[in-house]
Amino acid sequence: MADPGPPLTRDTLRIVAHAQGLALSDADLDAVLPLVQAARVLLDELASAPLQDVEPTSLYLMR
Amino acid sequence: MADLVWASMGEMARLVATKAISPVELVRVHLDRIAALDGKLRAFITVMGDSALEAARAAEASVVRREPIGALHGVPVGFKDLYCTKGVRTTGGSRILADWVPGEDATVVTRLAAAGAIALGKLNMHEFAYGPEGINVHYGTSWNPWDPAVHRFCGGSSSGSGAAVAAGLCPGALGSDTGGSIRIPSSLCGLTGIKPTYGRVSRAGALPLAWSLDHVGPMCRSAADCALMLRAIAGQDPRDASTSALPVPDYAAALTGHVRGLRVGLLRRSFLESAGAPERHAVEQAVRTLEGEGASVREITLDQMKYAAGAAAAVISVEAYAYHEPWLKTRGGEYGGDVRERLLPGAFVSGADYLRGQRVRGLIREEMDRVLADVDVLIAPTLPVAAPRVDARDVDIDGRPQPLRSSLIRFTRPFNVSGHPAASVPCGFTAEGLPIGMQVIGRSFDEATVLRVADAYQRVTDWHTRRPPLGR
Repeated sequence: MADPGPPLTRDTLRIVAHAQGLALSDADLDAVLPLVQAARVLLDELASAPLQDVEPTSLYLMR
Repeated sequence: MADLVWASMGEMARLVATKAISPVELVRVHLDRIAALDGKLRAFITVMGDSALEAARAAEASVVRREPIGALHGVPVGFKDLYCTKGVRTTGGSRILADWVPGEDATVVTRLAAAGAIALGKLNMHEFAYGPEGINVHYGTSWNPWDPAVHRFCGGSSSGSGAAVAAGLCPGALGSDTGGSIRIPSSLCGLTGIKPTYGRVSRAGALPLAWSLDHVGPMCRSAADCALMLRAIAGQDPRDASTSALPVPDYAAALTGHVRGLRVGLLRRSFLESAGAPERHAVEQAVRTLEGEGASVREITLDQMKYAAGAAAAVISVEAYAYHEPWLKTRGGEYGGDVRERLLPGAFVSGADYLRGQRVRGLIREEMDRVLADVDVLIAPTLPVAAPRVDARDVDIDGRPQPLRSSLIRFTRPFNVSGHPAASVPCGFTAEGLPIGMQVIGRSFDEATVLRVADAYQRVTDWHTRRPPLGR
């Protein structure tokens, strides 16, 4: 089991948002935090997928 | 005249071609109906009355001059308001694009016009297509015509398409489907709608939600009408590099009316077993009907589907955020609150997460292809519930409260992730008189078999012929 790291907080989201030029209020961050946490749970489930030799589907079609 | 609005698109085209009715008459009867009912339904954002009548007069002149005409000549259609229409505002259901007038048509708009269809107007939708309920704080939330007394969701994001076709405001409409947005409103509104294979229909000129998950397709009152509309819009498009060069079959000709010898796979685990009792009963009954018509049925389990929600979350959040980032930074306050809240999490998903999601899609697609080598179609419920009230935040599935949004997309989203064609077909009603839909899922680029099964089912059932009380 990989180390999940420190929990996501309003402040960690603020730092990431700021780094991307996204100014979010405390109310914004409070509203988004549970959605990001829920998404994180879903994304972490992908870590167990058997992806050896599987390439991403986003490949260019050459003509 | 009132019965005219309930005719099939094929019948309307035949009546026009034989001069039994004028396209002007056909457009007028629909415009009158919009004027009478849309104050409550809120299916349309923009009604194109003048241009529709002008096009109808031109269509009538073509018939009189005995010019060659298309398969949908003179038949009115509606467009979800994310398809660009030259000279007509295209809002995406948003305030941000409230006054945006595109300079060219989406490819599918051009193709339907080439088939003779007449654009009646632009249809309501969940803002920027980001929601399965059909909520719209800017233009009003469409009213499900199956319950005149209680405001229930039409389903989203193609909510106006669902309301308009179900209530007879237009006989067919284009929706779009990123996680179920054609099939969800089709199920909740008692319609037949098909999300074709990714790459079958051009997305050029359609406002994106997530480029690699977005699908364009028709919503109608029968599989036969879906066949007509799909034939008109499908095929390779130089404006959309993801479109396939595979030839487009004559879908109407593929409707043999029988399923004898077809192999049907029933998705019970994670699908049927998770639906409410009325939905389970209706889909099981539908499967028995197909069996009675000569199909063989066996149960199928899709092991990799457990990753579908994560893969979809990775891909849709990042692609949607990437498209909206400039507006989120400069005009964030103009979004509806629910849509803004759904867009922002994409800023916190990494590139590695995104690509892992895209790799998992390959895994899911591979399993689907493997399973579909042994059966011709898969069957699943479209939704675990019937139309919820607009104030609902949870849905009740056999006495257990479940979150509304994730419940609405649970059975449809996997086939956006895999890209396989999937239709929703009416297969029953709840005790409250609300429609229930089942999905028919097929092999890549085999929409013909999906529509054949749906049509054969509709030839021996009458669920799709029932009309909602609002506007009957």
